[in-house]
Formats: sequence, structure tokens, C-alpha cells
Amino acid sequence: MKDLTKRKRLRHSLIIIFSAIILLLPFIITNNYYLSVLVIIGIHTIVVVGLCLLMGYAGQISLGHAAFYGLGAYTSGILTSTYNVSPWIAMLAGAVGTGAVAYIIGKPIFRLKEHYLALATLGLGLIVHVILMEEVELTGGPSGLTKSIPYLSIGKLVLNSDFKYYFLVWIVALLAIILANNVVHSRIGRALRSIHGSEFAAQSLGVDTGKHKLQVFALSAMYASIAGSLYAHYITFISPNPFGLMTSIQFVVMAVVGGLSSIWGPILGVSVITVLTEALKEVIPKIIPQAGGEYEIVVFGFILVMIMIFLPEGLTAGVVNLYERWRYRKERTDETSGN
Amino acid sequence: MKLLEISGLTKSFGGVVAVNDLSFSLEKGQIMAIIGPNGAGKTTLFNLITGVYPPTKGSIVFNGRDATGLPAHRIATLGIARTFQNLQIFNNMTVLENVMVGQHTRSTTGLMGAVFPMGPVQREERKVVENSLEKLAMVGLADKAMESAPNLPYGRQKMLEIARAAALEPELLLLDEPAAGLNSTETRELVNIIYELRDRGITILLVEHDMETVMEIADQIVVLNFGNKLAEGTPFEIQNNQEVISAYLGEEEF
Repeated sequence: MKDLTKRKRLRHSLIIIFSAIILLLPFIITNNYYLSVLVIIGIHTIVVVGLCLLMGYAGQISLGHAAFYGLGAYTSGILTSTYNVSPWIAMLAGAVGTGAVAYIIGKPIFRLKEHYLALATLGLGLIVHVILMEEVELTGGPSGLTKSIPYLSIGKLVLNSDFKYYFLVWIVALLAIILANNVVHSRIGRALRSIHGSEFAAQSLGVDTGKHKLQVFALSAMYASIAGSLYAHYITFISPNPFGLMTSIQFVVMAVVGGLSSIWGPILGVSVITVLTEALKEVIPKIIPQAGGEYEIVVFGFILVMIMIFLPEGLTAGVVNLYERWRYRKERTDETSGN
Repeated sequence: MKLLEISGLTKSFGGVVAVNDLSFSLEKGQIMAIIGPNGAGKTTLFNLITGVYPPTKGSIVFNGRDATGLPAHRIATLGIARTFQNLQIFNNMTVLENVMVGQHTRSTTGLMGAVFPMGPVQREERKVVENSLEKLAMVGLADKAMESAPNLPYGRQKMLEIARAAALEPELLLLDEPAAGLNSTETRELVNIIYELRDRGITILLVEHDMETVMEIADQIVVLNFGNKLAEGTPFEIQNNQEVISAYLGEEEF
């Protein structure tokens, strides 16, 4: 009991320290470009935290999370620009609607084995993308929403700068992490982890495995939707392009790179991949002048394969393991040289 | 009062009949042992009762309710817990967390509660921890609560499985070869734990090869051979049953 409270306290103080660092960062980094990259990292972190819950704890891969991200963005975009709905209500509507969509399509899919879910979510991603492209009257088609999306505001405070938006996005992202952490350390989280340990034993203890997997799937879709809404009000213009298959794959890569078993994994994974994307945008045209975005895919694919081979538990766990191995080797050489 | 009634239970895998037209019943508060040579259908019987697979024929009535063919997690909800012949510990969890999963059906926190753990959820969580620690204390593992489960030695892991199953607070507990692999001290501990569970009102059905232990603790014994019931009775009756002696116990010393 004592150990338990001690662990909990350690977990909480880590979260507090980390939050403080994040909220102090924009006072140190005043460059607008860097700030905007940090905002995007925050938005993607929200999606990837949800995806990690699904992949790390329910053991299911979703190749369609960009669709949920897009559903949130478009619900917010359309409701606020065309129908003048309050942005906050639109965001909530997007989250609830997207969660419902995930629940309904997840229900039949979760009766099947793992790979079918990946394929079905891949299909969902493609379908949503096609709808965004073709429903021109509603979505504006390939060229995007014609009316501009309003900025978010809290009371009289309009969040129209990177600096102000940074705080909103990161407060939501931190909340997302804390709430996901709550789930992991709850009855539901234990039930999900027990499925990984031994599905046979989990069922013998009354764990309805399918039900819990489905719930987490819907929750992770809601995370993506909220991130989409935040994205729409940040960029204030949306087109189908950022909500395609490439983005879905990118989310999976971020989740895997960061590692699925730690709540800090998503931030690390998203940061590494986002910074790398920005760097590649600079570097690739210098090496291959006529190159388009496709070359990024090659690099991401390479990273994914490398991580899978050398750090299968992701960077967060991988770095810890590497450090321990290094220390062990050092101790041994110290011993032998001492003799 | 009858807690479990098995009638005409049959299970065939392709052409192999693992359990054949088996009928017996279990009184509340009893300790019953299922014995029989390897391949007699003992574990298959356990898997049928706990819903791992449905029977080919026959019925399972628990507490007056038809439990035939229900999925495993529904059976657990009815109040039947089990341990496994081959350990099924959750290796990705601590000792305490393993037992806490056992309290799954005894707690109600849903996804909303998990995301926003308000007062009642935290109270329930504390209750789950308390109950789980109590179950660990019962099997003598209280001081190992925070250790990673796979780090426990084999005998301790078997006790952990019993604690985890007991955390379900079942009416019926199925123990699949609980004494296998235990040394004599551990077997003594096991016997005491089984008595303790019985005293708490849990009815016990166990499969066991250790005849000394079976004869000591069982109120009633069912002997299986090739999926058929060969005999049923008290340890005294079984030891003096000519058919059993010739078919199975012939070489055993008592």
C-alpha cells in the first residue's frame, strides 16, 4: 500500500515537472516558426496518445486515424464557418459524432482477429477521404472549405497568435495524457493489459475482452477528432489533403517510434518525426531538386523498420535499455581493469 | 443444496470423445476431487464447465441456472473461478495487479469512470487494492505485492493464481492440479489454503494426481477413465472400490 502511493506520487510529480517545462517553453522560444512547429507537435500528440491507448493496450493497429482527425476538423470547420455554431460546441459535436462512428464500425470489426481491424480502418480512412474530396457542396471538394474558419476564443480572448494557441493546444495535450494515464491505471486499463498477458486467463476472470477493446477504440477516435478541431481553428483553412492515408501512417510511425508502453512515448515520437519532417523539407530539395513529398515516405519507412528491428519497444523504452546495457558493460570493464 | 449439476455431458474433438455422457453433482461447501489417469478428460471437463468451449451434448446447471455453452467471461460473472494446469500468470503486471484483475467482476468502473476517476471510482479502486492485498495475505504473498509477477518462483506463482481466482470471490473454485510441482512444505501450505477457502464458503472442485493430498482433503471423489465416470464416492469408498483399484489405483500405495 505504501509502495503504491509512493509510485503514484512519483508519477504525479513527473507529470507536474513536465507540464511546467512545457508551459514555460514559449517564453524561451520566441521564434514564430519554432512555436508553430511546437503547436503542430501538440496537436499530433493528442492523436498519438489516443492511438497508443489503442495499440499499446488494446493491441490493435488503426490505419485510419487520419479519418477521425479529418472528421473532427471538418465537423468544426463546417459547423462554425457555414452554420455559425459556437466553436466549442462544434468541437464537442465532432468528438461525440466521431466516437459514435468509431463505435458503430468497430462493433462488427472487433469480432474479427487483429489484422482485419487494420484493414477495415484502412478502408474507413480511404472512404472518408473520398467523401471529403467528392462532397463538394458540403466540404468544398479538393480545394477545401471556401469560407474561412473562425479563431477559437475564450470569453473575450481571441486565440489568434501562435503564442496564445500554444497554451490551449498543450493544455489539451497534457489533459489528454493525464486522462489516458488514468485509463491505463484503472480497472479498464488492467483488463486491457491482462488480455496481453493471457487472454485465456483474462476471460476466466470475467473480462469481456471485445467490449473493452471497442470502448478504447471509440475513445481514441474522440482524441483524434478533438485534435482535428484544434487543427482546423489553428490553420483556419482545411482541405482533404492532410487527412489522407499518409497522415494515418505517420501517426502509426509516431506511436511506434515513441513506444507504446509509456505515456511519454507519444510526445517523444511526435517530436522526433515532426522535427524530422521539417528538416527533410529543407534537405531533400537540396539533394534531389525535383523531389516531391514522396521521399519522406521512404525515410519514414526506413525509420519504422529500424525501430522494429533494434528498438521494438520504441525510443522511450529503448533509450532506457541502451543506457542500462551501457552501464552494465562499463561495470564489467571496470571490474576486469580493476583486476 | 446442489451448487453444480452436470448431466449427460459429452465433448468430442473430431472422432475423439474426451468426455462421454458424464453426470455428477456437487454440494455446496464440498471439496470434490476429480482423479483419473492422463488423458481421462479431466482438464476437458474443467474447460467445459468454465466455458472455454461448448459441450457437444449435455448440460451444466450452476446455482439452478443453465450455464451450458456460455462464453468464459459470462461463466466467471456467475461465480465460477479457476486456476490452470499450465500457469497463466499475467507476466506484464505486478503480483498485486494480477490479483486486482481477479476483482474485475467485483467492481464496476466503466470507461467514463476510468477517464475521470472521481470520488466513488477512487473509493472502489482502494477497495479493490484492499481486497487484493487480503487475498495475497491469505496465500502468504503480501510482502511480494509490488514485485513483477514473472519474478516469483514457480510455487509462489501457483499460489498467486489461487489468490487471483479467489479475488473473483467465487462460489465455485476449480483448481487444475494445484499440487503439481510443489515440494512437501508448499503442498502443506496449499492444503491449508484450500481449507481456508472452504471455510470462507467456497465450494471446491479440483483435479489432482497427488493421491495422498486428494484422500486427505476430498469429501467426494469422481474417478474418470477414458472420458467415462468409473466411480464416485468418499475417499474410503474409492480406495475400496475393486473396479477403481484394478483400473487405476492398482499400483498405488495408501
